[in-house]
Amino acid sequence: MQEALVKFKSRYWPDHLLGEILSKRWTETAIPMIVLIVVAIALSNAIPGFLSTASLGDTARQAGEIGFVVLGIALVVIVGGIDLSVGSMFALCDFCALYCLNVLNWPVPAVIVATIACGALLGSINGILIGYLRLRAFITTLITLIIFRSAYDLLLVGNSVKIASSMPDFPLWDFLGGGDVFGIPSVALLYVVVAIFGHIFLTRLRPGWHITAIGGSRRSAYNSGIPVRRTIALCYVASGALTAIGALFFAARLGTVGGDVGVGLEVTVLTATVLGGITLGGGKGSVAKALAGTLIVLLITNGLTTLSVRGGYNRMVLASILLIAATIDIRWLKNRNRIISKVYVAPAYHYLPPPPSTEIGKGGPFEQNDKLRDVSLIGLGRIEAPEDVILDRHDNLYAGSRHGDIMKFYAPDYERMEVFAHIGGQPLGMAFDCNDNLYCCIGGMGLYRIAPDGKVEKATDETNRSLWSVNDDSRLRLADDLDIADDGRIFFSEATVRYEMDEWPVDGLEARGNGRIICYDPNSNTTRTVLRGLKFPNGIAIASDRQSILFAETFGCSIKRYWFDGPKSGKVEVVMDNLPGYPDNINLASDGNYWLALVGMRSPALDLAWRMPDFRRRMGKRLPVDEWLFPNINTGCVVKFNEQGQILESFWDLGGVNHPMITSMREHRGHLYLGGIANNRIGRFKLEGADPNFVQYDKRWGKQA
Amino acid sequence: MIPALRDFAHRFLGRGEGAITVPPFDGALKPNQTLEHAEIVATLPGAEDLATDGTSLYVADGNAVLRLDGAAFVPVRQFDQPLTALCVLPDGRVAVALTGREVRVFAPGAGSDIAISGAGMTAVNALAPGRGGTILATDGSTDRPYAEWGRDLLSHGRSGRLLSIDPASRQADVLASGLRYAFGAASSGDATLVSESWRHRLIEVSSDGSTKPVFDHLPVYPSRLSPAAGGGFWLTAFTARTQLIEFVLRESAYRRRMMAEIDPEFWIVPRLSAGHSFREPMQGAHLKTMGIIKPWAPPRAYGLVVRLGSQYAPLYSLHSRVDGSNHGVVAAVEVADSLYVLAKGPGRLLRLKLSDIRGEAGA
Repeated sequence: MQEALVKFKSRYWPDHLLGEILSKRWTETAIPMIVLIVVAIALSNAIPGFLSTASLGDTARQAGEIGFVVLGIALVVIVGGIDLSVGSMFALCDFCALYCLNVLNWPVPAVIVATIACGALLGSINGILIGYLRLRAFITTLITLIIFRSAYDLLLVGNSVKIASSMPDFPLWDFLGGGDVFGIPSVALLYVVVAIFGHIFLTRLRPGWHITAIGGSRRSAYNSGIPVRRTIALCYVASGALTAIGALFFAARLGTVGGDVGVGLEVTVLTATVLGGITLGGGKGSVAKALAGTLIVLLITNGLTTLSVRGGYNRMVLASILLIAATIDIRWLKNRNRIISKVYVAPAYHYLPPPPSTEIGKGGPFEQNDKLRDVSLIGLGRIEAPEDVILDRHDNLYAGSRHGDIMKFYAPDYERMEVFAHIGGQPLGMAFDCNDNLYCCIGGMGLYRIAPDGKVEKATDETNRSLWSVNDDSRLRLADDLDIADDGRIFFSEATVRYEMDEWPVDGLEARGNGRIICYDPNSNTTRTVLRGLKFPNGIAIASDRQSILFAETFGCSIKRYWFDGPKSGKVEVVMDNLPGYPDNINLASDGNYWLALVGMRSPALDLAWRMPDFRRRMGKRLPVDEWLFPNINTGCVVKFNEQGQILESFWDLGGVNHPMITSMREHRGHLYLGGIANNRIGRFKLEGADPNFVQYDKRWGKQA
Repeated sequence: MIPALRDFAHRFLGRGEGAITVPPFDGALKPNQTLEHAEIVATLPGAEDLATDGTSLYVADGNAVLRLDGAAFVPVRQFDQPLTALCVLPDGRVAVALTGREVRVFAPGAGSDIAISGAGMTAVNALAPGRGGTILATDGSTDRPYAEWGRDLLSHGRSGRLLSIDPASRQADVLASGLRYAFGAASSGDATLVSESWRHRLIEVSSDGSTKPVFDHLPVYPSRLSPAAGGGFWLTAFTARTQLIEFVLRESAYRRRMMAEIDPEFWIVPRLSAGHSFREPMQGAHLKTMGIIKPWAPPRAYGLVVRLGSQYAPLYSLHSRVDGSNHGVVAAVEVADSLYVLAKGPGRLLRLKLSDIRGEAGA
């Protein structure tokens, strides 16, 4: 009963998506957006008319003004600094605008230029001190906050009356302060333009990348030749200029120079920045985050004001939010990868019936024997990790190695060994096409083609992206084994789309259908996925009808057949299931049947664990990989089977001394050649009664040497 | 209330008692291969325990007590039930435990035995001479017989006892109970030193019955003890701890199903020897790479003898590691200038020269 529930949950509850979603960068923007929506809904429920057009217009006007300041401070924070002096700069720019307009009676365009220049100048003081003289951003801007505020207070003493006494009337000035286009306030329009440019600037333009790079790692940025000091200084200048734009609209809207202009603004904008998810440590942030943060803060302050909360409390709420957001930001940044790694692995329910017996004396096709005892060894200690072995029609032997090479052993004695091709990744399954090209699946890289002269070419390393997968599954992570159809199409398996090659035990822990079969068509140079949701698909062999492939699912302990052509095109049928071990590569035998390598054998403890996903989840979290319960791949065997799913013969090595692990085998002229991915040797075994002239290449492509 | 909450939090978060940690083999327990390279005196698949009268070695082998005379084993006595423990008393008499349920005392050559049974003896697994002619016996568990110690571990068994048996009155007194598998005892001054296996420690049971841990946080499950010449003891460990087993011990649902559904041979539980079947559970580090299994892999079976000083501090140790085979060490006794070790996993009687040991083990 309980097991049925576990099975149900495992099948229908997509808990593997949580980790995939969290590892997406856009979650960091999505969270403030969700907060924004929640705040908006909550406040509109609490306050009637909160989201009315008039109210929205008013909010947008304030949002625009503060939004410019937030954009400026966001830039500074992304570059790795902080600007506390924005409030004072805001006040000074406000003063500058109104003084130029009301007292000096400058035309509006001149006022605009003067104000922005004033903001840039004030920002450049910060910029020079912090960027070039390398003072601490926090203490520097704290000091300039005080200096600018004092300057503002001093200027105010003589001039506030002058400014207040004249009320010039310019249409452009009024438009800045209260005009709109189709109901959208002027300030919001300009903000949208600046924000779009800012987004392009940060994400698409070189200086934007420089800013992010400096914030991420100042030293690395310097070492890469980025002008660190200048860029930092310019960010403060930009912050000042953007603050000035905000102040300009503020001046046009209210036209006052009170003593409290810009007081506490730095807390508001910092809160907006951090709430939006722009990390105070630098290097991370976007315009969208700045916008989301601005809106959240504005909605909250306006909401609280409407609810008649007193100013002190209002400020206190903002400060508390800043504190909480900063804490979350720091904790998240520090623990993000840990959290993702904890929730990413999502074991599934995987039931296998009790396996057929392998014990001596109990009979059955899998009864152990010692037939492989007399394996002779090729390249002992000279080759490492030959996952697959293959022979060409001149009897030479090829095998991959973990150094990223394909090694060639020369017939007839296979003593001489040389590097046939260097690829760089772990070569796995191999197959020859009809033109003697060697196709090879490379773990972590994709499908590669090696010409007879040893020239290496990439065939494909990506396929079509699945529509509904969260992870980008277009890149090949673990191409595993392949075979080639008559028309040259290559069918290859990818064992898992969720893990890298060295993480295969994690995929075993998950026992989820993470693998797929992909078809690469060299004629059109296209790649597409043909089967999904397979449990570690591995070996592939073209079946006798030339219209289907046999493929092995290692953790599914089964062999299946997939028709890619003909009347049964697209169908999948089970050939054998509930194998006593984990099937690996499949290859043709001289008598028309198939060889299958069982890379490891099932153990009851793991079979039980596969039915208990939560047990495995905890095991994955609490234990290091070295201590995990593993599929036993220290012992294996070779079996021969036919397309009807009958096991005809099995070959064992009881001691496992000569050839500890078998991942692949290839029959050639009366011998069976054995590969194993954790081995330092290739095995060669004399087959009794096998066709001594059998060459797979000739049989497959109908050629004679 | 608070401790209960804390325990729950620990279990939930894997902290404190819920943390799955095993102490490393370090200091005096630093691994070597001394035990693996020891001389094999004989292969005795049924051997259970060793004892000495000071001059010659006695072996409990299946149903028989043997004495090693030179290079040959001489039968001393044959019983009709398998022996689970053996000791030689100071007066030359021999005490044995039969299937863990009965203790017999006999003088070699004489015909009449003293049989002590009852007192709930279930899994008597070690005997040692006590004070005043008594015999100390450890009863591993009163819930499960001797052979089912693996199930006792997985069931969190805590029914081990230390008994004092008086052969004259045929009376057995319980000196300590509620032990988490008692396996091995030795007199130490006025007190008794006892191996409490499932708690990975040695405890000292004083004459008034109070216990105190004297050597704890062991990376192994300690077993029988024997006195060493020149003060101190030889402590054996029949198997070692792994994080996987510690984890399984905290997973009651899995443990229950494993014990119910799987053949005990293939349980996730320590074993006296390992690697006989591919159906045994395999752990990550057990993967043979380039034909080699790493000696530091988590041990399903292990061989360890520790030399303790008179204050129970470990002086040095002898190991047979994961890549070796002299595992499941249950007894070590010193006879003349040699140390005899019984590795029950492969059923081997090993001999090490004491003069060589000190050099090899770096002591």
